[in-house]
This record gives sequence, C-alpha cells and structure tokens, in this order.
Amino acid sequence: MSLTTLAQAVAAGLANGAFYAFLALSFAAILALTRALNLAHGELVILGGYVGYAASRAWGLPPLLLVPLAALALVPLGLVWQLLLARVREPVELNSLVLTFGLSLLLQNAMLGTWSADYRLLAAGPEAPAWLGLSPARAAAGIVGLGTIGLLQLLLTRTQWGAALRATSRDAETAALMGVNVDRVSAVGFAAAAAIAGAGGVLFAGFHYLHPAAGVELTLLGVTLAILGGVGRLTGLLWGGLLVGLAESLTLVWAGTRWRELVVAALLFGVLLVRSRGVGAGRGDH
Amino acid sequence: MRHPTLAAALGVALVFPPLVAFDPYLLYLLGSAFLWAALASAWSLTAYAGQISFGHAAYFGAGAYASALLAQAAGWNPWLGVAGAALAGAAVAVPIGLATHRLRGAYLALATLAYAEGCRVLALNWTGLTGGGAGLIGIPPLPALPMGLPLELTRERAGGYYLALGLLLVALGVFAGLRRSPIGLAWAAIREREQRAQLLGVAPAPYKVLAFVCSGALTGIGGALYAHAVRFLEPDLAFSRGVSILPLVMATFGGVHTLLGPPAGAVLLYLGSELLLQPTLPRLHQLPYALALILVVLCLPRGLAGLARRE
Repeated sequence: MSLTTLAQAVAAGLANGAFYAFLALSFAAILALTRALNLAHGELVILGGYVGYAASRAWGLPPLLLVPLAALALVPLGLVWQLLLARVREPVELNSLVLTFGLSLLLQNAMLGTWSADYRLLAAGPEAPAWLGLSPARAAAGIVGLGTIGLLQLLLTRTQWGAALRATSRDAETAALMGVNVDRVSAVGFAAAAAIAGAGGVLFAGFHYLHPAAGVELTLLGVTLAILGGVGRLTGLLWGGLLVGLAESLTLVWAGTRWRELVVAALLFGVLLVRSRGVGAGRGDH
Repeated sequence: MRHPTLAAALGVALVFPPLVAFDPYLLYLLGSAFLWAALASAWSLTAYAGQISFGHAAYFGAGAYASALLAQAAGWNPWLGVAGAALAGAAVAVPIGLATHRLRGAYLALATLAYAEGCRVLALNWTGLTGGGAGLIGIPPLPALPMGLPLELTRERAGGYYLALGLLLVALGVFAGLRRSPIGLAWAAIREREQRAQLLGVAPAPYKVLAFVCSGALTGIGGALYAHAVRFLEPDLAFSRGVSILPLVMATFGGVHTLLGPPAGAVLLYLGSELLLQPTLPRLHQLPYALALILVVLCLPRGLAGLARRE
C-alpha cells in the first residue's frame, strides 16, 4: 500500500470520526440529562437533513445557510422531547425506550408521508478539487464537528451556564437546591441537542442518501459512541468517534468492507471488558 | 385466574381453531401472535429481576441457528435440536447476566443491544458455520410428535399454531411458578431495592444470572420454533433488531411485572397491526401504532394491566 493511500485513509478516518462524534452529541446529551436512550435520535438527524433538502429545493439556499436553518427548525422538537420525557414515570429507562421507539416510528412515518421512500441527496455545491481524497462535504462535516465539540467543551467548562448544565446532568435535585433553575437549564440542553441533530442532518445529507429509515444506523452510532466514550464526557465522545472512524477506514483499506462491522463490534466488546467497572461509572463521571 | 369459567372458555377457544380447519393465513397470524407473546413473556422474566434487556435477539438468533444447524448439519432429530436451542440461548445469556454485576439501567440496555449486534455481525462473518449472509436454506421442519394425534393437527400451520401456544404456556407457567417461589421474591427484592436486598442476605449476582438464563433459554426455543417453521435463516433475520425491541415494547405496553400483561400486549399489538391497521392504512399503518405506544406510556404507566386493576 502506498503512502498516499494510507494518508488518504487516515484523513477520511479522522474527518468521519470527528463527524461521528458530532452526530452522537445529541444522543449523549439527552442520555446525560435524563437517563433516557433516545431511540428517535437518528430520525431527528434525518429530519434535519430533509428540512435542509426542502429548503434548498424551495428557495435555492446555499449549503452554508441550510445548516443553521435546519438547526433552528428542530429546536421546537427538542422542547417537545423534553416535555414528553419529563412525563415518563419509573422505571424511566424502560418507559423512555418505549416512548422514544414510538416517537421514532412517528417521525419515520411522517417523513415517509411527506417525502416518500425515495433516496435523496442534498447537492453540496460545486465539486471543488478534493484534498487528500476528501470531498468538500465530508471535510466540512469533519471540521464543523470538531469546531462544535471544541466550542461546547469551552462553554461547558468555562461558563456558569456550562457549570449549571453539568450540575443538572449529574444530580438535578442537588443542583436545584443550589439555586440552579433545573427546568430552564434542561430546556437549553434539549434545544441544543435537537439543534445539533438538525445541523448534523444537513451535513450528513451532503454525502449520504436520505431516506426515512436511514436514522436507525445513526441511533446505533449514538449507542456505540456512548459505550466507547462514556456518557457525559465530550472528550470521550470525540476520542470514541475518532477511534471508530479510523478503525473503519483502515479496515476498509486493509481488509475490505466485509470486516468493517466486525472490527467496530470487537472494539465495543474490548471496551466493555476493559471497563469492568461499568460504562459511565468510571473515573470522572462528567 | 379469578374467573375459572372464563379461563375454561378461553382454553377451549385456543385449542379449537385448527380443529375446525381455519384459514391457513389466520392460523399463521395467530401462531405468530403467540410466538411474540411467548417472547414478551420470556423477556419480562429479566425485567422482573429489574434488568432491562435490549438485546434478546442474541438468544433468539443463537437458538435459531443452534437448532437449525444441529438438525441440518449434525443430523440430529429436530426435537433434540430444540433442546439444544434452549441450551444455546441460556449459554449466550450467561455473559450478559454476569455483566449486569457492573452495569445497570440505561447502560445495561446499551450493552445488551451492542451484544446482540455483535452476535449478528459474528454470524454474518462466520461463514463456515452459518453460511453468512447467504443464509441457511432447507432447514428440516419439526416432525410430528408420536402422540397418536391426527396428522392434520401437527403439520404445517396447525402445528406451528400449537407449538407457539405451547411455548407461550410454558413461559407463563415458568413465570407464574417462579414468581411465587423464593427465587421470584428475591428477583422482586433486587428490582425494588438492590442494596436493601443485599443487606438482607440476598446476593444479587446469581439471581440476575438466573433471570437471564431462564429468559435466554425460553427465547432460544422461540428462535428454534421460528427456524423450523420458516425453514430459512440469515443473520439479519435471526438477530433482527425487531426481536430485541418488540418484546420489550409489547411487555411494557401490556404491563411489565404482571403475568398476563406482556402476552396480552403482544397479541393486541401484533394482531391489531396485522388485521386492523395494515389493511386500512397500508402505507402509514405505523402511525396509529406509534401513537398508541406513546399514549399508553404517558397515560398508563403500568400499561394496559393498570386499567384492569383499577376496575
């Protein structure tokens, strides 16, 4: 294998990995805020992609504007998710699984009714010359992913809002006793999670086909990264994403597509075994 | 059951359909509904011990492949293969049962889902054993049991109907029996207050493993019945995500921790979707299904069984 092939595989792996971490952010945020596995995570991302697709068809907006537009469009849904998940009673883990499974079916069918089952691709502007074999859409997705995670890390660790959000996610009751407006903080968290899902959908649609059932794989990606990275740790999520991205692209080059899933599954098992203290129960829970 | 006459009438009604030469399609639907009901019942064993499994496809698939391969490749009597499927389902459940020692709640659900996906990928890539993505074809059907029954009642659709009903009754019997036994009491104690149960001298680990093993064995038998009825297997079918999620959804819909809630939820959701929603709303039949799930979770936290108890 030539050095160029290797460099290209590493570049693709890193770009994909940073974007994976970005895509999984929304799932991890909702899990950290409510102990709920959002099974409709992938559908929210795909819906964001469809919003971008519809806006680009209707008004011919440039891709740069579609990303914030889809992010904004999904904010109300994030608040609805918060409202519904807040109403779920014990055992929260089980009931929220059924609730979000229902929501995922609902979104899938709404998208099927609106946009049909056809495969659609968001045209990502003119084909610029590829750098290290990366298409502009893929590179942009990786850069936006990395930038957002860096920005969020700063917000979470350096601002009062960030401290309030971390406190709410760790122990809402104690946070409330310390004077944190838990409901408002959680609403901001849900709104941000939905906005990130929407933005991720537009970026995703730049180099993947959209169809109503495409979200299932994205939910699984959220699950994978939640296990690899641990819940509530942004840096863990980023490392998990980069690990999966690199493992995938290097397996692809060395062994072929067949082994891609097996390598990711082996990674998961390894992490589950090593972290015998339990996912999310390790050092630095948040 | 509080109403013996009702129970007797239900029993007669359940034994009867194949005798009056029912439409094969309806028999198939009823058989499938009972299989889902059995899976929901088996799933609720782990839930009764407070463990949320989101990966029962692992045990279903293991049972399906074990029985199919024992009958086809090893040439065993398919009935022995079904017993092997129970062992395979139980064996595959042991590691997850042991892992519950460290994982709880949402994390256990994540890990079990990943485990089932890992099993699917393994089956897909272990082509020497499973045939990989090409699948296994020509799995022998289950031979008629030598019980002097007329052949019409043990073959094809009617046979599948009775087998699924039988598995459902076994699952209910296991659950009903264990629920009142010291094991069931320990399970409930661990579910409600694990630390308190520990203080009272109940070591949670072996009980949790036992819950997974019982549930895995029953689910493995379900996989075997499926394999011998459909007579074709591929990893995406046997380890399908639906097998992981639907029993959980159906059991919660019907009423988790109750005996009859999970199978009732399964039969209602499955038959409602197949007989009512799909014919009337062929393209968007999942919309009302989804709304029903959401409404029940939000308004009836004990599932449909909560309604029955209120009366």
